[in-house]
Amino acid sequence: MAANPIVTSKQREEVVHGVPTEVVCTAFSNSILVVVTQYGKLGTLIYVDPNTIGDNIGRPSLTTKVLLGKDEPLVHVCAKNLVAFVSQEAGNKPVLLAMALKDKTMEGIQALREVIRSCQVW
Amino acid sequence: MEEGKEGKEEAVAMVESGIVLHDFSGRLGEQRVHFHAMRLRDSLFLWVGAAPALASLAVAMCSPRDGVPVSTSLLGDPSDTASACLAQRLARKTKKQIFVSYNLQNTDSNFTLLIENRIKEEMTAFPEKF
Repeated sequence: MAANPIVTSKQREEVVHGVPTEVVCTAFSNSILVVVTQYGKLGTLIYVDPNTIGDNIGRPSLTTKVLLGKDEPLVHVCAKNLVAFVSQEAGNKPVLLAMALKDKTMEGIQALREVIRSCQVW
Repeated sequence: MEEGKEGKEEAVAMVESGIVLHDFSGRLGEQRVHFHAMRLRDSLFLWVGAAPALASLAVAMCSPRDGVPVSTSLLGDPSDTASACLAQRLARKTKKQIFVSYNLQNTDSNFTLLIENRIKEEMTAFPEKF
């Protein structure tokens, strides 16, 4: 009964700056689900939504909303840094991000972004 | 002693290599329904739908004080309780934290029971995937 999946997922395990990391990206028709975890669980859930109005230079600005977990500024910053490009490349679709990170340094986030890019489903 | 410690570390490493994806489907009533499960550490994400949209999300987990698992809606119309109800039922069965995204028009209780049974059937057939 294992049918053809109706949604496309890509998955990757990698050691990022010494921390074992798992990334799963799933493409839905109206959004992209991105899971980035260094704890094996979903952790904080953030909804990253592109505004249609956009900023001055014509790019849509992103609204981040914490659906579950700690709602602090760093979470919003990390979320935008991690998946802004996903939303953009997917044609301004919202991204549901599940993030459980041990390493929230700038370098760490940058490296994680590349792992997400390698799981491109959009 | 040493060996025991090593064994434990190995077990931890095995748990760590962990997200498992599993897709299945079923013909329930007149409809082909698709399922997409993601097994994480001590938790499960389950999407249910006929078309590949994600419109609602709820989470449920067992509470130490109450027999009925607690649940909350995270995304979508909070008055639509289909995701939360299914999450609650699965949380009770599995004792895990359960995320459910239920994206079907039909939220009739007979129909959701068919959905639940299909999931339980798959859980029994492939316990390692859930």
